Amino acid sequence: MNRKKTLFLILTLLFFVVPLTALLLQSFSAPWRFHTGQGIDWGWQGYSILFGNPQLWEATFISIGIGFAVLFINAAIGLFTGKALASYAYRGKAWLEALLLSPILIPSLAIAMGLHLFMIRIGLADTIWGVMLIHLVPTVPYSIKIFHNSYQQMGKAMMEQPHILGAGFWTQVFTVELPLLRPAIRSLTFLTIVISLSQYALTAIIGGGRVVTLPLVFFPFLDNANTSIMAAFSIWFALIPIFMYIIIEALMMFLPYSRLPWRNHR
Amino acid sequence: MKLFKNRTFLLFLPVISFLVIPFYGFIHAVIQSIDGEGLAHYKEILNSERFLSSVWFSIRTAGTATIASIILGLGFTKAFHPFLARTSKRLMVWVPMLFPHFVWGYMVILLLSETGWISQAFAAAGWMENTSNFPVWTRDPQGIGIIITYIWKEVPLVILLLFPVFTSIRPEYYALVDSLGGNAWHRFTTIDLPHLFPVLVESFLIIFSFTLAAYEVPALIGTTFPEMISVLGYEWFYGSSWDDRPLAFAAMVLTSLFLLALTLVSYYGLSRPRWRAMRGDRP
Repeated sequence: MNRKKTLFLILTLLFFVVPLTALLLQSFSAPWRFHTGQGIDWGWQGYSILFGNPQLWEATFISIGIGFAVLFINAAIGLFTGKALASYAYRGKAWLEALLLSPILIPSLAIAMGLHLFMIRIGLADTIWGVMLIHLVPTVPYSIKIFHNSYQQMGKAMMEQPHILGAGFWTQVFTVELPLLRPAIRSLTFLTIVISLSQYALTAIIGGGRVVTLPLVFFPFLDNANTSIMAAFSIWFALIPIFMYIIIEALMMFLPYSRLPWRNHR
Repeated sequence: MKLFKNRTFLLFLPVISFLVIPFYGFIHAVIQSIDGEGLAHYKEILNSERFLSSVWFSIRTAGTATIASIILGLGFTKAFHPFLARTSKRLMVWVPMLFPHFVWGYMVILLLSETGWISQAFAAAGWMENTSNFPVWTRDPQGIGIIITYIWKEVPLVILLLFPVFTSIRPEYYALVDSLGGNAWHRFTTIDLPHLFPVLVESFLIIFSFTLAAYEVPALIGTTFPEMISVLGYEWFYGSSWDDRPLAFAAMVLTSLFLLALTLVSYYGLSRPRWRAMRGDRP
């Protein structure tokens, strides 16, 4: 067992932790040139040049705004659908699940290209709203899966009990289900935001280059920037989901039966 | 009872209105690929050397990356799932999931390109004469860089999907196999595989269709020939000539149809064992 544990640590450190650490170190130093025998130059240049780019802040705010909108719509759709799927059993459920999963199985490029003309016609092309809508396509199927699993783990009894006690639909959602869905909401937050931040092609097609999100700044940056700036930029990509996660965690403290720091002294 | 059924329908309303977006987009892609000329555009791309080599390259690259990710993720979860119960250890494994795919692609360039950190470190350590002796693994015609990026990024996803299944397998089953004289292979084939099979198939479909059709990573770390189908489609869509646009639609529609057929076949295969399992037969 102990040898296995050592192997586990070696593998995870080597493949997952060391690259992240190296990226962090690179972001705080000048580009590395080991073979010339030089040491490492520490400094903030990577970040100061990155933050000096006026596009970066605008892109960050737009990305975060789109991220939150996508997250909330995902949560709403996922909650309803997950509940419906977990509450009722019927024949053909496997097919229904396949249908709900299909938006991530059809290439999203095909969908975005197909929607492009329509978005132009109804005036959603080149707008944040259009980009939000297209970001729903690769995210909603995952939300449905996450909420479906959570509702299944919760069990039918947990949903029948409030109904028997006379709770209305929304009371039940807020006092029983949402507090129990907290782990699902956490995974959902990470997943949807990282996916939304990952979309270069979809954002470029529907946003037409007018809606500048972070990937649209990152991609053209790749050709000329030095490694320190790019390392800092890469770290910036990971900080945004963490930042939004903290905000969601803070919002979840207001759910019923949550431990508000100023209310519970346990 | 009838009231219940009506309410279920109401719960499905949001997702139905959402599904309009992808399905409308897909149908319009089909319409624009035909564009009043029938199947002419399809004939054109199916006769194009560039398209065919791109199809083969895409399927080979995405297939290799997906199968390798699933095997590595399965092995990792099988061997180490007791450790993964700890949140801190899980977080270590899930580091790549925190980054978008193209950022991890850039990470692979930083590490494995000919002037990357690893080749520099090897040269500095004296293991290689020169950094140019390092093999070409990024922006290479074999798609090695693309495959490495996807494996690295998807193994944590496979672990995430398989981990709950492993924790739900009751240890008594293993004890039963042991007491009947089975070995590790029997344990894997009679307990793990039947439990994991639906999740494995679904993971394969999700990862394969994603890697086959995603634009960002191959655009960053691939070459111009052969190129992934998505890069070719994007180029046709945004290229200088408007005549190429229907070709982009035709290429993406063909990819979609291929993936949909693959999904249908898998779900048909899956739904039968599931039904048998629900009726109480041996899965």
